[in-house]
Amino acid sequence: MLLFRSEETVNRWCQTHQVPRRPLVTLDQLWHLAVVWYANRLTVESRRPAPDEMVAVFAGIGLEGPFWDPKADKWESAT
Amino acid sequence: MQTSTVMHPDFDTAVKLTIYTFIAETAAAPSSAEVAEKVGASPAEVEAAFGRLHVKRLLVPEPGDPSRIRMAPPFSGVATPFSVEVRGMRYYANCAWDALGIPAALRADAVILAADGFSGEPLTLEVKGNRPVPRECVVHFAVPAARWWEDIIYT
Repeated sequence: MLLFRSEETVNRWCQTHQVPRRPLVTLDQLWHLAVVWYANRLTVESRRPAPDEMVAVFAGIGLEGPFWDPKADKWESAT
Repeated sequence: MQTSTVMHPDFDTAVKLTIYTFIAETAAAPSSAEVAEKVGASPAEVEAAFGRLHVKRLLVPEPGDPSRIRMAPPFSGVATPFSVEVRGMRYYANCAWDALGIPAALRADAVILAADGFSGEPLTLEVKGNRPVPRECVVHFAVPAARWWEDIIYT
């Protein structure tokens, strides 16, 4: 995933690289994901969230649909 | 009784904690030999643990060199465009998500030196008091979640 100054530079990057425009995530949403994934990474019990847990975490911050489902085999409708 | 070929799951935990503690303290990823010395095992046993931690998606060995670590998310074992300064140390992250993950893991303030993905213009983020300092930016996920680990280095 890449960081952009604005939606405009995202669109220009997608056009230049002929990549479909995919979902955008805000700084606050990304911080939430960073804390869930990594706040306990230096501890004994740390682990990566399981697929169902991931779906719940994403949905909790408004990231829903098959694009955000690690078990999905189709996701275009979510973009 | 533990043998040299069948390692207890606690061994993998010890290896994992050794890796992350080493990176937190030095801002560099340890080799299998460095981890082996700290956990009292052979480099081959540690490399086997690297492989099991990779299966759990907690580690990515360097492609073609199982003695080295490419990623111990959120940390990168190599320099990347995401530089994260914490307490006078410079760490590298694998992506924007991981760049925020480093201050989350270290529970510290941070300054993240990155760049706009299209223009390359510098884009600095700051984490202060357990939250990001607001600034205009967005993150574009080009790869769906189901494919993130097909090529995690690209993702």
